Amino acid sequence: MYTASSRETGRRLRRPSDLAREDRVTRRSRVATAIDLSWPQEFARSHEDRQALLVILGLPSLTPRRLLELAAERKTASSCLRAIKTGMAGSPLDRRHASSVDPVSVAARLEEIGGRLVAVHDSEYPLGLLDLVDPPAGLFVRGHALPELEPRVGMVGARNCSPSGEEIAGKLADALAKAGACVVSGGARGIDAAAHKAALRAGGPSVAVLGSGIDVPYPRENAGMLKDVAAIGCLVSEYPPGTKAEPFRFPARNRIIAGLSRAVVVVEGAGGSGSMITADHALDLGRDVFAVPGAVSNPLATIPLALIRDGAALIRGPADLLGDLGLHIGALFEDGGTGLTALGDPALEAVMSVLTVPAPPDALAASAGLPLPEVVSALVQLELMGLVREVGGRFERRATRP
Amino acid sequence: MAVLTLGRVYGCVFGVAVVGVKGHLITVEAHVGRGLPALVVTGLPGAGVQDARERVRPAVESSGLQWPLRRVVVNLSPAGVRKDGPGFDLPVALGVLAASAQIPATKLSRYAFSSELSLKGELVPTAGILTVAMAASEAGLDGVVVPQANTAEAGLVEGLAVIAAPDLASVVGFLRGTWTPEPGVKPPFQPGAEKRRDVDFAEVRGQGVARRALEIAATGGHNVLMVGPPGAGKTMVARRLPTILPAMTRQEALEVTRLHSVAGILSGGGLVETRPFRSPHHSISSAGMLGGGSGFLRPGEVSLAHNGVLFLDGVTEFRRDALEGLRQPLEDGRVVVVRSSGAVEFPARFALIAASNPCPCGYKGDQRRSCRCLPNRVLAYRQRLSGPMLDRVDIQLSVPRLTRAELLGSESGELSVRIRDRVELARERQRQRLAGTPWACNAQMPGAFARKLAPLTDRAESLLSQAVENLGLSGRGFDRAIKVARTIADLAGHERVSAEHVGEALGYRTPARAEELAQVG
Repeated sequence: MYTASSRETGRRLRRPSDLAREDRVTRRSRVATAIDLSWPQEFARSHEDRQALLVILGLPSLTPRRLLELAAERKTASSCLRAIKTGMAGSPLDRRHASSVDPVSVAARLEEIGGRLVAVHDSEYPLGLLDLVDPPAGLFVRGHALPELEPRVGMVGARNCSPSGEEIAGKLADALAKAGACVVSGGARGIDAAAHKAALRAGGPSVAVLGSGIDVPYPRENAGMLKDVAAIGCLVSEYPPGTKAEPFRFPARNRIIAGLSRAVVVVEGAGGSGSMITADHALDLGRDVFAVPGAVSNPLATIPLALIRDGAALIRGPADLLGDLGLHIGALFEDGGTGLTALGDPALEAVMSVLTVPAPPDALAASAGLPLPEVVSALVQLELMGLVREVGGRFERRATRP
Repeated sequence: MAVLTLGRVYGCVFGVAVVGVKGHLITVEAHVGRGLPALVVTGLPGAGVQDARERVRPAVESSGLQWPLRRVVVNLSPAGVRKDGPGFDLPVALGVLAASAQIPATKLSRYAFSSELSLKGELVPTAGILTVAMAASEAGLDGVVVPQANTAEAGLVEGLAVIAAPDLASVVGFLRGTWTPEPGVKPPFQPGAEKRRDVDFAEVRGQGVARRALEIAATGGHNVLMVGPPGAGKTMVARRLPTILPAMTRQEALEVTRLHSVAGILSGGGLVETRPFRSPHHSISSAGMLGGGSGFLRPGEVSLAHNGVLFLDGVTEFRRDALEGLRQPLEDGRVVVVRSSGAVEFPARFALIAASNPCPCGYKGDQRRSCRCLPNRVLAYRQRLSGPMLDRVDIQLSVPRLTRAELLGSESGELSVRIRDRVELARERQRQRLAGTPWACNAQMPGAFARKLAPLTDRAESLLSQAVENLGLSGRGFDRAIKVARTIADLAGHERVSAEHVGEALGYRTPARAEELAQVG
């Protein structure tokens, strides 16, 4: 596992992001140059400042880091807003926006959807976010208060995940929920959705960090799920209500997932995807990073394998994850064994024993020395038992490891 | 030029109108009378026959004969049938020649004539000659006069003299008794003795599941849907299905030949002995698929695939109306094309093999290439497949793109003839069981009937109910599984359907699997 502690001992592991950086020197140089800044205590204490913050958070081109720098100079949010309105800070676009938005209408909209503004230094503001170089000045939250939802574990992965990725994400989220942990993820398709759904099914809360406003479900097909998340967990966004989902918001959202979590699990991810950004942030913040491996030939295993190679802890199933996190649950693992001997049918056992990598039935028939019809029939029975799954004409084992 | 002194003014010749695949004997009457020189055709001539007006005169004159410079009226009777196609050139020409007393009328009433004419007077290969010959035979005529290229085709009709002439002058010579055609040799029909195939299942490496599925499909008459990435080998496997279907009987071969003859795609040599394999492009119109067209109604792809295989590659890309139209032929084995001029029926009993990519980019579920499609796009893509047509597809399977190692490690297939022997044996079993019903194979049985004819063992029963519960098998899926299991048991030679047969049958329902997951997840 590579954690903050491994960094303290001076053993600086090479990160995947470093590999990417080797030929692109300019990328993310802020890590090296960032000066430690913190939000002034009085930044959003008064009503006036909170009103100003509602406007500031919606500014189209003011990044959280630049806002932080401005705040260090100006101390309060209303003073920051004045600076922007007078053109002393921010872009002309920001200035136009700042003078056209009415904080009262933003507040009204927020109330209408049952959300609230959590500003930095509020008791509800999650302290983990302050580890970021560019913590958000405030969050829009719908649902329960974040400090109630602890411990939090992030789970990220491919939107276009495989059925097996979906399954393992579901199992991990289920185990986390049963162990009393709260799953933090995005609101996207694939691994995000699988994690939330499994946590909700297990009766556990989850936190969805959105790249759009908390009233804008994106993708739309997850609207129902996000409503459930808001009911027993919470929805979080640093963008005011009504903000549309736009591509550039998602990488920024990933830093919040990392900041909210004490550990991040990466399930599946193809090269160059957002999972890597989240893992990078988690490492910068000193959070534990876990990864579920896949076959080296599997394009969706690219990021988990790269993370593992660089020292992330390898996760084979819920037991590994809970064990490493020091969480416990009772009844989960009783029937977990693969129990090949328990199948009772020699054909089923023969097929199971030759099923290692995903393979088409005729290949299995050849290696098991059985006629094809018998193998097809056996695979259907194994499928009914929940032991195998078909993906694109090949059969693979389902995750049965505890 | 000497002005003709006419002994006769009336001539009468037999032609045949092809409507659908049926031939109607038509009397072509010609009258040469007073008036300005003209050729008038009456009696519901189609556009093709109207064309003949301009062709016939040059053809007659090029053949050293004379065109009467008077008013010529040609009547096609009965007038109720719409006559179309180029086959009327020759009867019209002969009618005019008979009316102008240039040929004797003695033989005219004992033959049917059909051919297109060139301006030089040659007989040009013509579509639908087999139908013409059949109609002539039914009408009790002695023979047909056809272009030389169509000899073999016309010769398929027993007991009919086939006069194959190179040009109009020869036909006139024949009628005058000055020219005799060379006696044609009829090739004997030997059932099963098909020409050497250019494809065989023995050439296929890997894809054992697809091969097995097609064997089952060939046995029970089931339709197949194959889903797989590009390059998986869907087309390769489908192309070999005709090689394992039972050999056609002479009757079936004649039906196919007749359809191909009408469509004008018969290439020279007489009877079509191999089962057709039609693979229309996905841009095909509904008329092209089902038959039709303005004027002359051509059989569509469904009819050209009659007694053979219709392969729809990229089935999701086909036009909606073309796919929806498949319902009737899949159900009844025929297609009825309705036009203002009346309804025409074409036989269309074929094995449907549909192939599709799993998603718009083609690589969902592939091992080496990741899919770039959004999930809702994948779902929309799959839904284009769903609907009533998919209900008629009993066997659905995923065909993976094999890796090089998998290809090298897998065995080549069995020879097609060996598979065909098993298929024929199992077909015989079905024929006996279904004797006295309107159905010939398992796929045609209605669901309730299938359940009666497929006695399940207890284990098979419990496996099926488990599938209904755990895999979300629908009512239709249930019936399909039973039919396919029935066929698998027939292939194995069992009267009772055991759990193993049901298990295998449930293995051929993969794309449905993905939908089940989508609903559950």
